[in-house]
Amino acid sequence: MKSDILNQLQKTSMFMNLSEEALADLAVKASTRTLEKDEVLMRKGERGDSLFLIHDGWVKIVTEDSKGDELIINKCGPGETIGEMSLLDGSPRSATVIALTASEVFELKQDVFEEILDQRTDVSLAIIRSYSERLRFATTYIEKAIDWSQKTAEGDYSFVEQTQPLMNDSASNDDKAAQLLSTFFTMVRRVKEREDGLKQQLEKLTIEIDQARRKQEFEEITGTEFYANLKEQAKTLRQKRAQG
Amino acid sequence: MNKGKIVSIHSFRGGTGKSNTTANLAAQVALAGKRVGVVDTDIQSPGIHVLFGLDENKMGKTMNDFLHGKATIREIGFSVGENAVGGEGRAKLAGQNLWLFPSSIRGREISQILKEGIDFNLLNEGLQKTITEFDLDYLFIDTHPGLNEETLLSIATSDILIIILRPDNQDLQGTSVTVDIARSLDVPNLLLMVNKALPKYDFVELKKEIEDKFNAPVTGVLPLSFDLADNASNDLFSLRYPDHEWSKALRGVADAVLATG
Ligand SMILES: Nc1ncnc2c1ncn2[C@@H]1O[C@H](COP(=O)(O)OP(=O)(O)OP(=O)(O)O)[C@@H](O)[C@H]1O
Ligand SMILES: [Mg+2]
Repeated sequence: MKSDILNQLQKTSMFMNLSEEALADLAVKASTRTLEKDEVLMRKGERGDSLFLIHDGWVKIVTEDSKGDELIINKCGPGETIGEMSLLDGSPRSATVIALTASEVFELKQDVFEEILDQRTDVSLAIIRSYSERLRFATTYIEKAIDWSQKTAEGDYSFVEQTQPLMNDSASNDDKAAQLLSTFFTMVRRVKEREDGLKQQLEKLTIEIDQARRKQEFEEITGTEFYANLKEQAKTLRQKRAQG
Repeated sequence: MNKGKIVSIHSFRGGTGKSNTTANLAAQVALAGKRVGVVDTDIQSPGIHVLFGLDENKMGKTMNDFLHGKATIREIGFSVGENAVGGEGRAKLAGQNLWLFPSSIRGREISQILKEGIDFNLLNEGLQKTITEFDLDYLFIDTHPGLNEETLLSIATSDILIIILRPDNQDLQGTSVTVDIARSLDVPNLLLMVNKALPKYDFVELKKEIEDKFNAPVTGVLPLSFDLADNASNDLFSLRYPDHEWSKALRGVADAVLATG
């Protein structure tokens, strides 16, 4: 059981810089909770003071729409983490989480977590490092998104071809910045596809010139004495110009 | 004696974009280092002088006075390069060799001119004198729509005629007659330019179609643009927004003018 927790903690981005031994220390302090189907794990607005790792089963993350009806934002399953940030900032839960099936989750409480932070500077440092790393990634992603937005506004889609292979491995679930970029990329690709489609639908102008009318109008203009004179003078002028 | 080229800009219908095109072309050619003159034939309606920032109240003598021997051409030329103010685009013309020559050869006055005996040769001498006095490489003439006698005079004296058309059948029909006239009057360089093209058309295809029909080069297909409609009459659009599609296509036309032998 504890090795399951250990495995999962390792995959959580917040703990990815921790040593095996430090993780084991954390795993020991985590407790196991079983949920029945439809049992509420947390409620929106409650003080958030723990992190949950889903070991088994599925939960839904819900909020209310404007009419007060349940609105499912997301579903999470085995290996996924809920409420990671709450461990550090204790902010109120932003959504309600309800078990979709009978589930088993591991819970790591804020006070337990803080105790470890107090005792072990290596853990504190590792956590700080992982946060600054994420921040750095997020900044890079945002810069990328800005760059792409500008290019898209100018109609320059060259980056789509160049980036395709890079974006194919879908971003990990807990990295929201990477998700944003991935979604952004998909959006641009779809916009480009629609634009290409539109281009293919461009119309062709069917030119129809009434040749009889053209001839008649030409003769009306050139038939005058004024025109005959002008043509003669223009001819002389052009000859003179040609001679320099 | 005949170093500078006379470039007439014409369209079958009014409002096709002659004045905006003429002013922007002249500006682009001046920026390419050429000495450029523009004859403004339209002082009444907001014409070229507005684009170049010349206040009509300050306009004194015109080309007509010059043609009648009542003024020297020096008195008439308005230096755009020395008055490049009041517009972000216009400001880029500071120090360039570009002059505006206001005139009012139109309507009632044309018949008067003809009566008084200003004929083709006199007009032509006047234009040549303008070119010589200012040592111009290009003299642009913004004509009136349709094929009246005044326009025929301009076409007959042109080294280059640019016909602007909108891509619709009414305009193509009218343009076909102008093309025939230009050939009948031996204009050495006949260039076509499409303006106000709707984005729904394939511009490449459009260019090919029109070139095939008239056997003359289409030097640019300029899009219908709200940006231009909003802005153009206050400033020189292609200088102010050089990266706009309209401006890019216009520079293509300027290049074609510069490339004529
Ligand atoms: N490509 C374009 N897209 C949108 N509006 C345009 C375009 N070209 C010109 N216009 C607008 O159309 C109007 C007429 O342009 P302009 O005065 O240059 O035409 P013109 O042929 O000189 O007209 P006129 O025959 O009255 O002298 C102006 O308001 C101008 O801003
Ligand atoms: Mg005009």
